[in-house]
Amino acid sequence: MSFDVSQNKDNAELLALFAKGNRLSTISLTSRLAPIIFSQAFYMLNNSADAEDVTQDALLQLWKIAPKWDPNRAQITTWLYRVTSNLCIDRFRKSKRLSSEEMPEVIDKTPDVDQKMQLMARSKALYAGLKILPDRQRQAIVLRHLEELSNPDISEIMEISIEAVESLIARGKRSLVTTLTPQKKALGLNND
Amino acid sequence: MTDKDFNYLKLGESDLDKLFDAARETRPIMDPDFLDQLQIQAFEAMPITSEINSRNSNIEIFSWISTVIPQFGGLRVSIGLVMIAAIGVVIGFNPPDLVLDFTTAYFDTETLVELAGINNETQIYWEDF
Repeated sequence: MSFDVSQNKDNAELLALFAKGNRLSTISLTSRLAPIIFSQAFYMLNNSADAEDVTQDALLQLWKIAPKWDPNRAQITTWLYRVTSNLCIDRFRKSKRLSSEEMPEVIDKTPDVDQKMQLMARSKALYAGLKILPDRQRQAIVLRHLEELSNPDISEIMEISIEAVESLIARGKRSLVTTLTPQKKALGLNND
Repeated sequence: MTDKDFNYLKLGESDLDKLFDAARETRPIMDPDFLDQLQIQAFEAMPITSEINSRNSNIEIFSWISTVIPQFGGLRVSIGLVMIAAIGVVIGFNPPDLVLDFTTAYFDTETLVELAGINNETQIYWEDF
């Protein structure tokens, strides 16, 4: 029988408990939020080490703000997506390291090597395409098509209207099409 | 006219979806050790923990004393040693005649300062006290 009641609590309740020194809530909150931040940071930076640094910085900002957190203000995840995006954009501008340097490990659900290679090639091409997009377009595409958030959520995160989100996504996708079309055949997309 | 429509060569919506799927499937999983590290950082950043840490520094002094006392033979012996030290300090400031007689007889001096050989210009005689 588990005595960890923190599993049933929402993030804001857990953060309030964190501010009161509750260790169980801290474990739950970190386990819930860290993978979300890491995933978004990786999509934006395409580098695990940088994604880890961003995850660490974003969480430290959350712990710092915890005692003053107003649950009526915004969802914690919305706030974190915003903080993570800003940290990624800062890091990206400084280092310009977003590249296809890192070939991610393929999660073990692909049946054969050819398919794995194709997945990696497609992934690499997409990151290369994302790299040359303006920051806001890249942010909107990552949140919509990789994090699979809704447009209203993205508009809240990016603090712009839903129409502006749609426009950013549309322009970003047009740029991706232009950039990646020459590789269509090489990426195994020629049969569509 | 020989104009050809090359639009069919462009990536379509479904092609882009395949690229997004590939990126999601190849995304690395977060290292569990890194998660442990984040948990530790979270504990360190806990506001209550910081207060407890400052309180703990006071508690550490008492715990140090409690570890030292047994090394001197327990509380009673330690109190005895402290009292003897205190008596030594009192005697040092206001020595009884017996001590002065002893220093005069053996060291030919009436002052402890002279005996120590320091600050000979300022003579302090015990009779002044």
